[in-house]
Order: sequence, then structure tokens, then C-alpha cells
Amino acid sequence: MPAIRNKIPKRFKWPAAMGALTLFQLISFAQVVLAPGGFDPTLALIFIGYIILEWLYCLTARLAAPQSSQEVEVIAFLLSGIGLAVCGSIDTSYALKQLIAIIAGAAAYLLLSALLKNLSAAVFLRIPAAVAALGVLAFNLVAARTVNGALNWLKIGSFSVQPSEFVKVAFIFVGAVTIDKLQSTKSLAKYAVFSIACVGLLFLMRDFGTALIFFFTFVLIAFMRSGDMRSIILICTGALLGAMLVVYFKPYVAERFSTYRHIWENMDTGGFQQTRVLIYSASGGLLGLGIGEGKLRQVYAASTDLVFGMICEEWGLLLGLLVAASYAVLAVYCIKASRTAASSYYSIACVAAAGMLLFQTALNIFGITDLLPLTGVTLPFISRGGSSVIGSWALIAFIKSAGFRFKAAAQPERADIPISKNARAGRDAV
Amino acid sequence: MKNIAKRAGVLYALAAAFIVGLVILTAQFAVNGGAWSSNRFNRHIYTRGQIASAGAITDRNGEVLAKSDGGKRLYHESRAVRKATLHAVGDTEGFISTGIQSAYRQELTGYSFLNGIYTLKKYGRGSDIRLTLDANACAAAYNALDGRKGTVGVYNYKTGELLCMVSAPSYDVNNKPSAMALASQEKYEGVYLNRFLSGLYTPGSTFKVVTAAAALENIGDITTRSFVCDGKLELPSGTIICSAVHGKLNFEKAFNRSCNSAFAQIAVELGSQRLTQETVSLGFGESFSVGALATAKSRFNVSGADEAQLGWAGVGQHTTLVNPCHMLMIAGAVANGGEGLAPYLVDTITNPSGIVTYKGSLFKEKGVSMPAETASRLSGLMRSNVENYYSDSRFPGLRMCGKTGTAEVEKGKQPHAWFLGFSQRDDLPLAIVVVVENGGSGNSEAIPVAARVMKALDGGR
Repeated sequence: MPAIRNKIPKRFKWPAAMGALTLFQLISFAQVVLAPGGFDPTLALIFIGYIILEWLYCLTARLAAPQSSQEVEVIAFLLSGIGLAVCGSIDTSYALKQLIAIIAGAAAYLLLSALLKNLSAAVFLRIPAAVAALGVLAFNLVAARTVNGALNWLKIGSFSVQPSEFVKVAFIFVGAVTIDKLQSTKSLAKYAVFSIACVGLLFLMRDFGTALIFFFTFVLIAFMRSGDMRSIILICTGALLGAMLVVYFKPYVAERFSTYRHIWENMDTGGFQQTRVLIYSASGGLLGLGIGEGKLRQVYAASTDLVFGMICEEWGLLLGLLVAASYAVLAVYCIKASRTAASSYYSIACVAAAGMLLFQTALNIFGITDLLPLTGVTLPFISRGGSSVIGSWALIAFIKSAGFRFKAAAQPERADIPISKNARAGRDAV
Repeated sequence: MKNIAKRAGVLYALAAAFIVGLVILTAQFAVNGGAWSSNRFNRHIYTRGQIASAGAITDRNGEVLAKSDGGKRLYHESRAVRKATLHAVGDTEGFISTGIQSAYRQELTGYSFLNGIYTLKKYGRGSDIRLTLDANACAAAYNALDGRKGTVGVYNYKTGELLCMVSAPSYDVNNKPSAMALASQEKYEGVYLNRFLSGLYTPGSTFKVVTAAAALENIGDITTRSFVCDGKLELPSGTIICSAVHGKLNFEKAFNRSCNSAFAQIAVELGSQRLTQETVSLGFGESFSVGALATAKSRFNVSGADEAQLGWAGVGQHTTLVNPCHMLMIAGAVANGGEGLAPYLVDTITNPSGIVTYKGSLFKEKGVSMPAETASRLSGLMRSNVENYYSDSRFPGLRMCGKTGTAEVEKGKQPHAWFLGFSQRDDLPLAIVVVVENGGSGNSEAIPVAARVMKALDGGR
């Protein structure tokens, strides 16, 4: 059994994967660039630049670490590329902003990776990160401007940023622990207090979607750390009671979700976005109407929250499902990766990041199609918007951290026991 | 650490739940995709709430009743045809829910799960729908109603094809009256209602067909009975008024002259139970399917009625309400040896690639039936009505059978004029129903309408 579990997965054939990705992107980008309305050289340059960037990254990564593999980045590039094409099919300036966001996201990912490699530094920075996260959220609550009933936007100069997207990263950064703290109830309790503060602040901002993502991630991390199902059930029951209390005392919360499963009776009010997503996604069929041929793009938030509907209408439900499945593939990849991680910190962070991404994807896709209540969260990597893209990319650092391998000399101080079978050598304490 | 590795498996559960969600979502698209994509807010199809792009609708002879061209919906060139087929074709905004453009909008857009509405978007073509209607007969019927409210329906009782379906009032889609006028003016009352499918009227003497059927089935010597009519039938609980003093007459003569005294007496003798049983077996209380459309349910209720009320019910008054399409099916049953087929309106649906995806004749909906013996005897009685009473000269060469009705409605208003009948000619197996609201006597007002429509369908002879 363990032999199979710890077997190193089949070598990732990166040139084939990159080739297929590039081919797909060339076809979809060409559709956007050659759409009626005139050839835009800037747009073409943006797309070409993006493809070059992908290859540069992959080649550099291979050169720097010949043993590394880039499955995760290829998925991120695929999803980001689709988002970039959607932006480009609307407006060149959107595509440019999106490309800058992707580059910033990739940079954030590399920086965070570098930090995570130095585990002792990362562990040391957990408390400052927690304080900063709470500070940012609190500042946000005070200084924010209301967008769509949620107070989760900050205006800095000419940029609008959504701080909660960055706090997501800190949330995992703070939540993961090394082996010495793994069994500590006190440590977990401290994290619970931090989580309640985050979720509470998000609630006050009326950003219920993100609050839910944070809560889910907390439960996931708590489970990874303690493995105690009873505590998890207790937490969830407590949260449910808390939610009921909130609904009782603040009826506007329930009102936000009153159109759930009643969207067709509220086509011009609370069900507007969901009904349009269904109408136009259905219009696209399995194969889609063609990029730029859709009508959902004229609906508010089409390229942000509703982007999955735009993909279904214009690219087809089939591609929409493939996109959705990518997030599930990422999660399943993380199960394997986390098992061979060099530290429990990496294991927990990897699973938490994958779970967070998949949960957010579910909230987004099922929310806009009325299978779940609409909470207004973005689709990771794809939705237009800098904060969301950068946050998504930064989360990859946690996933990749499960693949970090340290030479004996380079092992971090206070390193816990590596769990890779080769390195374990019977020292496993747990 | 081993435990952590195990715990990571929780992501399997999450991924599985996510995949289940995607499967449910896909299944919903497969099931509801057509309905969703043909929603009135789909701007691929509708422009400012008006259907702009969809397949063509033609009559049985290929006359184009509606089609799309350059994002515009175009209708038949003749104003009379446009008005006569308004309720069958439907309006541009979809207010007439029983119109083809509303009820079959999913088909008209050419939607498929694989391609969505790609063909409509790309080539401006959806599936085309060919109706069983004859546009000229519809126009003839509309003209024959001559501005009066009412409905005319004609169908082939051997095949179920609906050849004429007209509801008045109507309006010209190319020159739609203001919403204000449609909502407030008396002449447009119920204009969005297809009276043939959705209307409910007091049947008057056309109901005597039902009472006669019950009598033929339940009273052994009914045909040899004789009745005396002195212009009314006095019962302890009230009096049934007859249209004339008919004197002594047998069952056939009573049916010919539509004698209320005789039929009220028959109804009382049958009793509420047997009469109700007859109506149930003839489809009262049921909604019938005309393709994707449904008829209103005819109502017959004599529970708790006294003798006089039962007598009135037996002559088609009291609280009885019938749907014209349902009555047409009863006429069809009489004409067709007891098997009253359900009519159908959609002949074929042809998808954008020219493949016929639907054939109305292949879908047999539930109809109305009666014993062959009853049908044959009723047929003889209805033939006798025309031969001996209404006169064959009013239906030249048609071998018509029929029953008129003059349904009393509210005080101070003219009665509804009815005609229910069929031609016995093998080459013209058509049954017809005519209702002229507040038209007066069935004999003088409904028969001429029926005659004109039948003539139009008999090659215009």
C-alpha cells in the first residue's frame, strides 16, 4: 500500500503539454483577434506576449530545477489564458490590465514560493501576517466603498483593489503549521480566533461569499491539523446556529438570498444575472456560438462573476465543463502532492489552497446557475480583475510547496520530519 | 504525518461533490436548455420583447403565415388571413400563449443541445413549422363571423387534422391596436384568448347531442316514445320553457325541433347520475391535448340540482359550460363511428438541415369515444335535422349532419348561436363547430357561418 501511495507520479511530459496549450491558445486568441470589428495589433501583441511568457517561465523553471515539473502552472496558464481571451474579446484595455495582473500574480507566486522555501522564516512571519490581514480587513471596512451591496473594495489612486483576495493568501499562510504545533490545541484555538475575526469582518462588509470561503478553508485546515471529525461537526453546527442568529437579527442577509431557486419569478430583480446566465449558456449549446458572438457579455459583471456563463455561451458548455474540471484535477493532484511534502506545513497549505480554489469555483459556477445561492465570488484565474487573478496565482505557491525537496544541508531550521518515503527513514514521529 | 496524508483524501470528497454538481448542471441544460434559450429575454431571438428571429410557419398548402427576414418578423400579406390566423400563429410579443410562436418557440428557434441556437444565429433559420390549417378557410370563417365575437373550428374526423381554427375578436399583427385600446375597449374583450381552445360557453341545445346519447344508451324504447309539448314543462320545482308549442312528437322530431319540453323530461327520467356518467364518458372535466396546447375543461355539474335544474341541464343550460374544441371532438366521435380523435395543429416540424423532426399524424392524443351503436344512431338523428328541418339547400352538396344551439346567457343579452355538425361525404370527412357570441339563434346565425366555411373547404364550390 504505502509503496503505491508514495510512488513518484509518471513523468510530466512538459513539452507535449505546453505544445497542446499553445495550440489551444493560438486557436482561441486568433478567434478573438480576427473577430469582426477590425484587427487590433495591440491585442495581438498582448496574446503573443502571453504565450512567450508561458514558454519563458517553463524553460527557466526547467533550467533552474531539471527535476521539477509544471503541471500546476500549466493549468494556471490555461485558465488565465482563457480569462485573457475573454477580456480581449471585450476590450483591448481589459486584456492589457489582465495581462499585467497575470504577470503580477506570477511574480507574487514566485516571491511567496521563495519565502515558503525558508520555512523557519515563513513560520516566524505567521503572526505578523495574521495581524496584517486583520488590519487590512479592518481598514477596508472603514475606508471601503460599497459595490453591489458589499463593502469589499478599496480605491487606491486609480486602482480598485479587493483586499480580501490577498487576505485569502494570508489565511492559509497563517493556518498551516509545522509538526511541532500540529497537536497543539492552543495553536488551533488561536487560529480559530483569527478565523472568526476574519469571517466576522467579511460579514460586516457584507461579502458573504468570501466569508463562506474563509469559513470553509478554516474547517478544512482544522480538519487537516486535528483530524477530529467531532470537532469539525461541532464547528459546523456552531456556525449554522450563528448564521441562523445573524439571519434572525439582520433580515437583510436572508433577503440577499431570497431569490435562490426562484430566479424565474424575479427575472428583473434578484434573479436577473442567474436567468441571463442560463438563457445564454443554453443558447450556446455544447459547442458554443463563437467567441464574441454572445449576448451575455452585455450583462453587468459578465466578464467577472458571470464569466463561466460567457464561456458556455461563446465557447460552449463542453469547454465550460473542461474548465470546471481543471479545478477538480488540481485538487486531486494536490492529494498526491501533499502526501510527499517535506513538511506538514506544506501538506496542509497545499490541501487548503486546492480546497479553497475548488470551493470558490463551486460557489461561483453553481451560484450563477442557481444550484447554490448567488454570493458574487469570482472564478479563480479566469474572472477579469487584478486582485482575484493575483490572489489565485499566489495560492499556487502553497500547492507547489508540497513539491519542495531539500538537500540535507539546505533543510530549514526547525524543520520537521520529511515525510517522503526516501527521507523518512523511520523518524516519523506521528 | 501519515495521518495528514490520509486526511488529504478529504479533497477527493470535495472533488466528487463538485463533479456531481457539474453533472446535475449538465443534466439541467439537457432537460431545460430549449426552454431557457427560447425565453423571451433572450436577445438573440427577441428584439425589444418582439420575436425577431425564428423559423417560418406555413399553412397546409405552404402559404407562409409568419417568417423572419433580416431580424424582422413578417406575416402573411393578406390582412384577412393575418387576422384569421392570429390565434393559431400567435403574436410577436407572446401575449397569446396558445399561439405557435409562443407554445412552439423552442422548436422555432431550432434549438439543439449540441448546437444551442447556432443555426438561428448564423443563418437566421430555425425549424420551420407547417400547420394543418387552411389559411383560406380560416379567412372565410373570420369573414363569416363578420365582426362578431366567437370561434370556428373544423377538423378532419378521420385523421384529426385541424383545418380551421379562428377566434374573434382578433387584430392585425401588422397594425396592432394600442395596448390601451386592447385592454379597455369592449370589442377587444379577451382578444388574447383562443376561444376555440380556451373558451368555455353555455352549450344550449348542442348539448342535446349528449342528452340524446345518454337516452339512446339508457332508455330502451326511447325511439318509440312520444312526447307532448305545450310550450313548457312544468315540474314541482320549476318550469322549463320551450321555444315553441310543438304538440305531440316522437324522439326524432323532438331532436329535429330541439324541443326543450321533451329533452328536459328525458333528462329528469335519466336522472342526474346517468346524465353525469354520460358527460364523464364523453370527456367532460378533462383537458385534451392539441399537440403542445391544451383545451379548457368542459363542466357539467348537477349535484344537488332539483328536477327543474336537471331539466335545464339536459337542454344545455343550468351551470353547464363547454369548450368548443371538446364539442368538435364529440361531433367527430358521432361522425367517425364512435371514435372522436383529438385534433392536431402541427403537421410537421422541419429542422434547419431540412430533416423532419416531428410529424403530428404520428402522435395520437387521447380523444373522445362513444359506442359505435350510439354514434350511428346519433349520426342518423343529426342527418335528419338537416334533411328534415334546417334544409339541405343551406349546405349544397355537403350531406351535412348537425345540431344547432341557442344558448341563453345573461339577461338583456342575445343568446350564443351554435352549430355543431359534420359532412357525411367520404371525400369531405370534416366536422365543424361554430359559436357566435350573442349572435342570436343558432339556426339563423350559426348555420350560415358553418355553410360558408364548409363551402370554402369543399373546393370553394
